[in-house]
Amino acid sequence: MPPASELAWLIPVLPLAGATLVGLGLISFNRTVNRLKVPVAVLLISTVGAAAVLSYAALAEQIGGAAPVEMLFTWATAGSFSLPMGFRLDALGAVMLALVTSIALLVMIYSHGYMAHDKGYVRFFTYLALFSSSMLGLVVSPNLLEIYVFWELVGMCSYLLVGFWYDRDGAAHAAQKAFVVNRVGDFGLLLGILGLFWATGSLSFDGIAAGIQAGLADGSLPAWAATLLCLLVFMGPMAKSAQFPLHVWLPDAMEGPTPISALIHAATMVAAGVFLVARLEPLYVQFPSVQLTVAVVGTITCFLGASIALTQMDLKKGLAYSTVSQLGYMMLAMGCGAPLAGMFHLVTHACFKAMLFLGSGSVIHAMEEVVGHEPVLAQDMRLMGGLRRSMPITAITFLIGCLAISGLPPLAGFWSKDEILGEAFQAYPLLWLVGWLTAGMTAFYMFRLYFLTFEGGFRGHDTALQARLLQAAGRTAPDHGHGEGHVHESAWPMTLPLVVLAVPSLLIGLLGMPWQNRFAALLDPREAAEAMAHFSMAEFLPLAGASVAISLVGITIAVLAYALGRLDLATAVAGRFPAINRFLANKWYLDAINERLFVRGSRALARQVLEVDAKVVDGVVNLTGLLTLGSGEGLKYFETGRAQFYALIVFGGVIALVVLFSL
Amino acid sequence: MALVTFLITVAAYVVGYDPAEAGLQLGQRIDWVPDLGLGWSVGVDGLSMPLVLLTSFITTLAVLAAWPVTFKPRLFYFLILAMDGGQIAVFAVQDMLLFFLAWELELIPVYLLLAIWGGKKRQYAATKFILYTAGSSLFILLVALGMAFAGSGPVSFEYSDLAAKTLAPSLQLLLYAGLLIAFGVKLPIVPLHTWLPDAHGEATAPVHMLLAGILLKMGGYALLRFNAGMLPDAHVQFAPLLVVLGVVNIIYAALTSFAQRNLKRKIAYSSISHMGFVLIGIGSFSPLAASGAMLQMISHGLIGASLFFLVGATYDRTHTLQLDEMGGVGQAMRKMFALWTACALASLALPGMSGFVAELMVFVGFTTDEAYSLPFRIVIAALAAIGVILTPIYLLSMLREIFFGKENAELASHSNLVDAEPREIYIISCLLVPIIGIGLYPRLMTDSYRATIERQVARDGAAIHSAAAPPLPLRPPLTAAMTMAPALR
Repeated sequence: MPPASELAWLIPVLPLAGATLVGLGLISFNRTVNRLKVPVAVLLISTVGAAAVLSYAALAEQIGGAAPVEMLFTWATAGSFSLPMGFRLDALGAVMLALVTSIALLVMIYSHGYMAHDKGYVRFFTYLALFSSSMLGLVVSPNLLEIYVFWELVGMCSYLLVGFWYDRDGAAHAAQKAFVVNRVGDFGLLLGILGLFWATGSLSFDGIAAGIQAGLADGSLPAWAATLLCLLVFMGPMAKSAQFPLHVWLPDAMEGPTPISALIHAATMVAAGVFLVARLEPLYVQFPSVQLTVAVVGTITCFLGASIALTQMDLKKGLAYSTVSQLGYMMLAMGCGAPLAGMFHLVTHACFKAMLFLGSGSVIHAMEEVVGHEPVLAQDMRLMGGLRRSMPITAITFLIGCLAISGLPPLAGFWSKDEILGEAFQAYPLLWLVGWLTAGMTAFYMFRLYFLTFEGGFRGHDTALQARLLQAAGRTAPDHGHGEGHVHESAWPMTLPLVVLAVPSLLIGLLGMPWQNRFAALLDPREAAEAMAHFSMAEFLPLAGASVAISLVGITIAVLAYALGRLDLATAVAGRFPAINRFLANKWYLDAINERLFVRGSRALARQVLEVDAKVVDGVVNLTGLLTLGSGEGLKYFETGRAQFYALIVFGGVIALVVLFSL
Repeated sequence: MALVTFLITVAAYVVGYDPAEAGLQLGQRIDWVPDLGLGWSVGVDGLSMPLVLLTSFITTLAVLAAWPVTFKPRLFYFLILAMDGGQIAVFAVQDMLLFFLAWELELIPVYLLLAIWGGKKRQYAATKFILYTAGSSLFILLVALGMAFAGSGPVSFEYSDLAAKTLAPSLQLLLYAGLLIAFGVKLPIVPLHTWLPDAHGEATAPVHMLLAGILLKMGGYALLRFNAGMLPDAHVQFAPLLVVLGVVNIIYAALTSFAQRNLKRKIAYSSISHMGFVLIGIGSFSPLAASGAMLQMISHGLIGASLFFLVGATYDRTHTLQLDEMGGVGQAMRKMFALWTACALASLALPGMSGFVAELMVFVGFTTDEAYSLPFRIVIAALAAIGVILTPIYLLSMLREIFFGKENAELASHSNLVDAEPREIYIISCLLVPIIGIGLYPRLMTDSYRATIERQVARDGAAIHSAAAPPLPLRPPLTAAMTMAPALR
């Protein structure tokens, strides 16, 4: 039995094989395969499960100190070029593999419950397996080009899954928006990759970093060009990890089924951008200006996401903006030159955010029993409330998630977020301040979500409110399939993943305690040892204390406002500063700007080009045709058939020539 | 019959063809008018073999796609086979006069197929097509005569003799310009493209597959064969123009495609857009980019054929091509939706499919092509990459408008609106297998023509060195370029 690291290529291939098999079955024997729900689910879950086993084995080997494994083959070749492909497994990759496979596995089990009555059950599982395969491929990619390949493939899976309910207009637009916005990022990524290849002749991470260093040293590569290339490459992560201003697709992507929001749009795919920046750390560390840009973009994103989340009434949208904000924290860490902290937050965030999303799915699933399948109603928190009594498991796990993301010790979010804020404090104190304030906002909006959903009295039967919400969303009355149902706890396939994810949300942070950072020691033993040697409790405590304090302030405001009703925020804040409220409710007007400037602009431009094409370019062609027709019409009168007339013309021509040449 | 041809070509490929050999293979020569050097001369090298295979493959599928044709079916099949013969002849002949004859011969079946089985404006489209292409191919004849009689040595139209001639640079420029117009119409190069949306807009599905799958490739093949292959000195002068035209093609056609409301014309413009990458590949002096151009032709042959087939199949069901009148048919036609999605994703160059590899090879090849100055490369690569954003915009909008959204009650009640039948699934699968196969392991295809392309690019590259005054974006061989060479591992 070879070591698991050498079998790592199997990890993405297994789910792919399963997805291909079922996909072929769907297209050739649609009805039969669609009926085989359970066998298909078992098959695909077991392929992902096998991948998970392999991933954990590989992770164990890496923890045991095994050397990184890299295997390549020549994929394309022409002239003196060859483009290698293959796989690479190191500690960073192994951690991501374990993370992605475990969450994918849990989400698939959850989906068995969540999608049980959906017509597209089998299709959904096929897409899930396909996505897992692409994401795992991305993680083991040894070079930028292969990353780009899988980068696009996860984007495609995201497109397919966001547009899963393709009879909804919202889903159709969201899917397209997600793909196109990501392509804008890929535009930069592609140019950056091409430029780096031109500059260094290499596509591997280390090769690029070394090549750029050498190029800068001997002066063959100007510094501005190298900086530009780094920024171009960064456009890719900006789109994929929903960084300002390319974050606009992520909240819309919530139109997809909720398990997808948990897997793709919270835990794994959106983290790919952060992962790529971590891979490119040896390159970015050479350019302080690039690092500063990354940090600033991350901070803006972090603040923007949290501020918009303050006013969201849609449960999933609220969580989505929270994801945007947390991704901003990770990017901030990358910009501070602390990829370890960023990656640690990625891991902890993946656990508790996946749990929160799955919890919201459980809530929505229960709400659909009462208000029907209209997402405008089922996801609106104004119709929820008091769900803790009927769904205790969901409520408790959701509360754990809220505590974890708010950064209360000793839960997961505390350790990772605090590490980032600590790094930011040393690198850019101003950015630390923004990040610190955002931590307070985070605590506030998360507990706002929790109290509105799970505490108080249930408001779901308020039909007047329902009608008002529908009207505001421009929808007609929903199907009357459900009506007066009752909210109840979800079945075990849905609650089990919640409970399983609650464990790491509580405990995984303990792997990254700054004085005994096992996580960092795995990824980068040298730097971790150095950091631990310099650790001083006197520096740690004030910063950590400040973070905890502001979180507690946020929680207190939420408690006062939403649990005890002592504070009426609507009049106290929203009433006094209507401009701010409107600004936040309209999501900083970014979607509107987008719509006006890019969507309508590109449409108008395209229409004008088409006009030119039809009128000018084709016009010339048709004009030529008309001219020939006209001249033919005119000339035909010269063809009289009388020989004398022809002779006259010939004679006249000869005379004319003679005169012409004799001059 | 088409299947037999396909099997013969496959057999020829497997048995008689050696991919590692750069020169002519499977040659055959029979003299006709020896005094003028006229004769029947055929053979294949790396440029022709893949396209001959593509031709017979697509024709076989087109015949299968023509199953529902009920109006004069015998004449229809005859014309399709005649077209097949003409196209294979175009790719396989090794004599320029014969090439001209084959080129013209192949126009007649296309004209008739358009004029008899076309849509409402078929007469206009067919006439436009024949005038456009016949007019432009006059240049081929003129250039063929010019090349045969100019220079020293006996009069000959044989490719190998023509290629061996060294013509005066000014004459080369003239010949090159003539050929560029002739082949530019076929490829097509903006602004010589306006016959294509009309012809494609009126053609029936099987003809459509052939038009998009093979006919356009004749232009690219001929550009590679004659312009780049036989007139190296003029190619050095014209190559930057080709690259610029390629970028214009990509962006201009992508925008027009986005604004089109007619499904067929939308896909037709998308074909023009994709051909831009072929132009960039031909215009660059790197074997990787040239190889990418070749692969883009093959890849677009497969993808274009599959998309146009689907357009036809959709029209059979909806009886409209206006996107405004469609919508929400994804519920009723799930398999059709899946096939459309797969082909649209292939067309927007999703990794794992052939289009991605081809475009990537052109991109990488062009940006690392030291023959061009750095600013020129940056601008061109950035503009071409805009196409990468525009393509998904129009293709995904198209999918959204056909399939997504609330079900269109009027369409859904239509009795014709049935899901894809096995024959259609089979045709698309046949096309998707090579698309994905090449996407996963491009050397399947590239190895078959690599040697020929490399030899040709080396010759063009040598011409830069000898050129007295290369045009602006090209720079003479610098020592810097030589020092960069080790970096291109």
